Amino acid sequence: MTAVLLLAHRWLLALRRRTHVATVSAISMVAMALGAAALVVTLALLEGFQHAIRGQLERGGVHARLLPARGSELPEGEWLAALRQRHPQLEVEEIRSTAVWCMANGVALPAELEVVAGLPRVEVNPVVAARLGLSPGSEVVVASSRLVLTPLGPLPLRRRLRVDVVREGRPGEERGVVRVGEGLAQAFLDVGRGPQAVALRAREAKEAWGVASIVQEDVPEGVVVQSFQELNRPLLAALALERTMIGFAVALVMVVAALNLLCNLALVAAEKRADVALLAAMGLSGRAIFRLFVSVGAGVGVLGGVLGTAAGAVLAFLLDRTQALPLPRGVFVVSHVPFRVQGEAIAVVLAISLAAALLASLAPARAAARRDVLQGLRYE
Amino acid sequence: MSELAVRAVGLAKGFGEGTARVEVLRGLDVQVKTGEMLAVVGPSGVGKSTLLHILGLLDRPDAGTLELFGCDTAGLRVEERARWRNQKIGYVFQFHALLPEFTLVENAAMPLLIAGIKRREALERAAAVLDAVGLSPRLDHFPDQLSGGEQQRGALARALVAGPRLLLADEPTGNLDAANAHVVFALLKELHLSRRLTSVIVTHNEALAGQCDRILPMAGAGVSEASKGVSR
Repeated sequence: MTAVLLLAHRWLLALRRRTHVATVSAISMVAMALGAAALVVTLALLEGFQHAIRGQLERGGVHARLLPARGSELPEGEWLAALRQRHPQLEVEEIRSTAVWCMANGVALPAELEVVAGLPRVEVNPVVAARLGLSPGSEVVVASSRLVLTPLGPLPLRRRLRVDVVREGRPGEERGVVRVGEGLAQAFLDVGRGPQAVALRAREAKEAWGVASIVQEDVPEGVVVQSFQELNRPLLAALALERTMIGFAVALVMVVAALNLLCNLALVAAEKRADVALLAAMGLSGRAIFRLFVSVGAGVGVLGGVLGTAAGAVLAFLLDRTQALPLPRGVFVVSHVPFRVQGEAIAVVLAISLAAALLASLAPARAAARRDVLQGLRYE
Repeated sequence: MSELAVRAVGLAKGFGEGTARVEVLRGLDVQVKTGEMLAVVGPSGVGKSTLLHILGLLDRPDAGTLELFGCDTAGLRVEERARWRNQKIGYVFQFHALLPEFTLVENAAMPLLIAGIKRREALERAAAVLDAVGLSPRLDHFPDQLSGGEQQRGALARALVAGPRLLLADEPTGNLDAANAHVVFALLKELHLSRRLTSVIVTHNEALAGQCDRILPMAGAGVSEASKGVSR
C-alpha cells in the first residue's frame, strides 16, 4: 500500500482513535450511503411496477399486428392459412371491427366492436364494464351506425347482448371494447368483408417481443407488421421517461450527499493542515497531497455507495418478498407494491456514488495541494 | 570535513506587501561544513525558522543562492525539491511531532513509505531506528500514548529513517522540560556523530547551543554583526 493510500485509509477508518477526521468522514459516508440506498430502492420500485406492467402487456396484449398497407382490408389469398401452418406457436386472430355505441343502465358509451372468428361468447373490457356498470350476466344494448328501415323511418341497428365475460384489463387501455363471434357480428358488419387486421400472440408470453420479426418474412406485399414495441410505444416511452425523470430526481440526493462530502473534505483539509504540512516536509509532493484527498473522497464514495447500495438492495428485496406494502385490489394491476433490483441499476448507483464523490473531492484536494506548507507548520 | 554541505550566499526573504512588508533575512551568508553541527540562536522573529525552511527547501529565498552538497537548489523543480526533502533532508519540529492516526513505528516509517519503499521493509527499518533512540518497547503505541520526550525522540527517528545527509531541527527541545530536553539533545548529538550528519539546529537554549560545533547568532534581518563568525 502506498503512503497516499495508507494515509487515506487511516484517515477514513481511524474511528477507534476517535479522530475528528474519521468522524467527519463517517458522516459523509452515511450521507452517501443514504443517498445510494434511496436511489436503489426508488429504481427497484420503478422497475417493479414497470416489470408488472410489461408482464401484463405480454400476457394480455397483442404481440404483433398485421395491417393493410393501403385501404381498410388485408389482401386476400392463402397467406394467412400458410402463416398459421408455419407458426403453430402463434395464436392468429382475425379482427374485424366497427364503431358502435354501448348502452346500459341509462349510460351510453362509444366503443369498438371487435369480431373474433370462433369466439363463442360476448366479452367486454373493463372500460365498458366500469363505465356502464356491467358484470357477467348483465345486458348491454349495442347500436351500430348501420341503419335499418323501420315504420318510424331509418334507425340505427340495435342488438341486446348478454355479457359473458369481463376480460382482464390491459395497461394503458382507455377505449371501450366489445368482442363477439362472427354470428352475432354479421348484422353489424358487411357480409363477406375480409379482416381489417390480424392480431398475433405467442403462446409463451415472454416471446412477445420477437413475434414481429418471426412473421416478417411470411407476410405478402401490402401487409404491414406492427411489432410489440410499436404497438405499445406510447406506454413504453412513458414508462422509460418516468423511470429516467424520477431516477434523476432521486439522484439529486446523491448531489446533496456529494456537497456534504465537499464541505466535510474542506473541514478535513483545514483540520489536517499541520499534518499535511508535516507530510510535505517529509517529501510528500503536491500531486500526492492532491491524490490523498481525492482518495479520501473516493473512499467515502465507494464505501458509502457499496454500503448504501447493499442496504437498499436488501430492503427492496425484503419489501417485495414479504409483500409489505399491499395495494387495494381492482385499482392497481398488482396486489402489492413490487420491487425489482437489477444489476444494471446497482452498477449505475455505484458509478454515480463514485463519480459524485470524486467530483466533490476535486476542489478541496486542489486547495490542500496548493496550500502554503509553511503556514501549515506555523498553524497551531 | 572540509566540503561544504550548505553554502548560502546573500539570502533575503521578506513577508507581506507594501508598508506592511517585513524583511526577515537580508543578505545572509551561511556556510556549514559537512559533518558540522551548527546552532542557530537569536530572539524570536529574527528569521531563524525562515532560514531553516529555506535550507530545508520548504521555502524559496527572494534573493540569493543556496547550494546543498554542491547542488544549486534554484533550478530544482517542485517534485525534485520534494524528493530532496524526502531523501536527503531530515526535519525535526518543535510541534506536530507525530501523526495521530499512526503508531510510532508507522510514523517513523512514513518518509520511507512516501519514497515508495514496501511497507514491511519500511517498518523494519523504522523499528531499527526507533531501537537506536530507545523506543523499541513503544513501537505499536499511538502518539497520545507517548510522553512528550518520547514523541520527540520518535520524531527524531523519523527524521533519520531515510538516511538523510542534512538534519534540520527547529527548536527540537522547546516543548520539553529540562530533563527531557537534555536527553533528546544528547541523543541528537550522538546520532549526528554516529551517522555523520550535517546538522543545523535552531534553539533558544544557550546551554544546548554551546554543545554544538559552532553557533550562528542571529539578530534583526540576519546574522548579528557583532556575533558573526562565532565558533567553537
